Amino acid sequence: MKIIKHYYDADLSWVEHYAAQIGGKIEGNFILLPEDSQSGIRYFLDCGDGIVAYYINVEYQRNFQLIQQNLNQDFVGFYYNLTEGEASVKTDFHVYNVGRWNYNLAVIDGSLESEYNVRKGSKTFALCIFIKKKMIKTFTQKNNIVIQNIDSILDPKENTMIRFDRMSNESFHIINDLRKLQVGGSIFNLHLKGTVHLLISNYLKKIATRKIIIQTVNKTDLEHIIAIQMYLIEHIKDHFPSITQMAKMSNMSESKFKALFKKITGNTANVFFMENKLLLAKELIENKQLTISQISDQLNFTNNSYFASKFKEHFGLSPKAFYKQL
Amino acid sequence: MRKVTHYYSLTPEWQYDLVKQLNTKVIDDKLIIVPDDIGKGFFYFTQVMEGISVVYADLTTTAPFKLTRQKSENELYIFHFDLSEHINLIKINEIDYEIGAFNRLDLAILDNQIESTFKPTINERAIALRLLIDKKLLHDFIQKFKKRETTFNHNETSNKKVFYHYGNIDSNSILLIRSLQNKSVSDLSYDSFIKGISLKVLGNFFNKFYMSEDKDAQITEVESEALEKTKNYLTNNLYGPFPSLTFLSGMAGMSESKYKSLFKKHFDNTPKNLFIKEKIKLAQKLLRSGEYTTLTTVMYELNYTKLSYFCTKYFEVLKRKPTDDFVKKYQIKKVT
Repeated sequence: MKIIKHYYDADLSWVEHYAAQIGGKIEGNFILLPEDSQSGIRYFLDCGDGIVAYYINVEYQRNFQLIQQNLNQDFVGFYYNLTEGEASVKTDFHVYNVGRWNYNLAVIDGSLESEYNVRKGSKTFALCIFIKKKMIKTFTQKNNIVIQNIDSILDPKENTMIRFDRMSNESFHIINDLRKLQVGGSIFNLHLKGTVHLLISNYLKKIATRKIIIQTVNKTDLEHIIAIQMYLIEHIKDHFPSITQMAKMSNMSESKFKALFKKITGNTANVFFMENKLLLAKELIENKQLTISQISDQLNFTNNSYFASKFKEHFGLSPKAFYKQL
Repeated sequence: MRKVTHYYSLTPEWQYDLVKQLNTKVIDDKLIIVPDDIGKGFFYFTQVMEGISVVYADLTTTAPFKLTRQKSENELYIFHFDLSEHINLIKINEIDYEIGAFNRLDLAILDNQIESTFKPTINERAIALRLLIDKKLLHDFIQKFKKRETTFNHNETSNKKVFYHYGNIDSNSILLIRSLQNKSVSDLSYDSFIKGISLKVLGNFFNKFYMSEDKDAQITEVESEALEKTKNYLTNNLYGPFPSLTFLSGMAGMSESKYKSLFKKHFDNTPKNLFIKEKIKLAQKLLRSGEYTTLTTVMYELNYTKLSYFCTKYFEVLKRKPTDDFVKKYQIKKVT
């Protein structure tokens, strides 16, 4: 196990120290690491306005423990973490499993010390966004987002911001779109900055409108619902399993299942399923390997016209029009 | 007809003059609600980052309306993305260009040194996203663009100082702009949303622009596998006659015409020519092997019936005569 102590910040002052600690070199905006400890891409970018984005797409070749002790505590870190494997974040009292199928969005105040543990063989895809606290305030003001008690939320004496959550499906796909792009270069930077803006917009909207915080949901219930989400994604090409069946799988009554699913994911199970199906269809069209009717068959749509109408309903243009203008 | 003129700048000032003419006011330096005598809708302006600003228009006009953009001092390019479901007109240099409407040209890049007029169709919803970009940021792009000006698809001026371009938006950007359409301006976080969208749209545009330079023929994996299969079949059966296109296309599971055109795209040669080329290469090998006594035997071996035809093809492919390569059988015997 490699233990590393490091710090982050909302400007690029942390990069050099960080790279030295994990044994990497800085080249341009990349942090290069020896292949035997982890392979993949680490890329950082100053997005201006006191926002720094840190893009990680790596496979860990050994166990890592990263201890974050920040010198400058005047920022908040947003960690969108889609790790496939074992990873956890430990703060003062609790251990949270993070990753695609656990808590995949953590918002942690810079003043908190945290420990990130990740196991060998895990594939991490994560986007970390560091924002100056002052910026969050002006950002929300500039963008007319009204958050009650914004001052007390950001005041370290009263409240340290720490939140483990599941990112919305929309955010997930925004990040997934970013993942498809080749990293580096000014075009990628445009995409990265755009992504950061969209994610922040999404998140702020969420905390401003949604009352429920996922941390307050019963842990086993949450696990069940996430398991169902996982099940749906794994069987995305099949027909929609019935609510009865899913409720049974998660040991809940149908009405409880439906209510809880909506509470946690923000959508009904059916909408969640269809949305992801259509997004997969969109990806398949982008790859240009299959015809539209082949895609419709593969995804188990009853017929092409139903597929086309659903596609149009969701994206606003038909699969054919989409294909034509790629 | 209501005529309104305006100019663009990267900062919010340009709106003040416009709202005076429209008899309305600008809210928070960003939002202009279109007054009732013109129609319904709004303009939304925001600065995305240094050198990039965005104007988003979503309006339904009820009276004829003409929006003329004047030249301005600022060195800007305007990327106009039009998602209206009907045709709007953009007038550049006294020529009307149709823009908007599905599956038509819906992207225009304008230099702000050229005046242009935007005329939305009455009683239809017009949706347009305009990115205003400082010329300094686009230096590399412009140079590349000029080089490709002749090869690029649609109408362009060859005027060196100013240019405009007319093309298509890529699908993903359409989706992005569309998602903007579904949000309400009064929505929380609209501003950062539109910023994000603008940057992504711009990123997509450049992705497409630079990627299309080295875009090779679009062939799916299944198709290229099928083509490889038929090619292998051809090279493994060089001793026989050409198996016919009907047979080959059947083998690849395509129509004859599709097969022929794809084959040509993929291997840069027709099936028949490729077959002959391979055959002649084999002939050269056989001739040099010294195991044949006459040219005619080699010719028969490869299923040719006329020596003169064989010789012509041989010369066509290899630019030399068969006799130049021919090693007679008895000569080998003498040497050994």
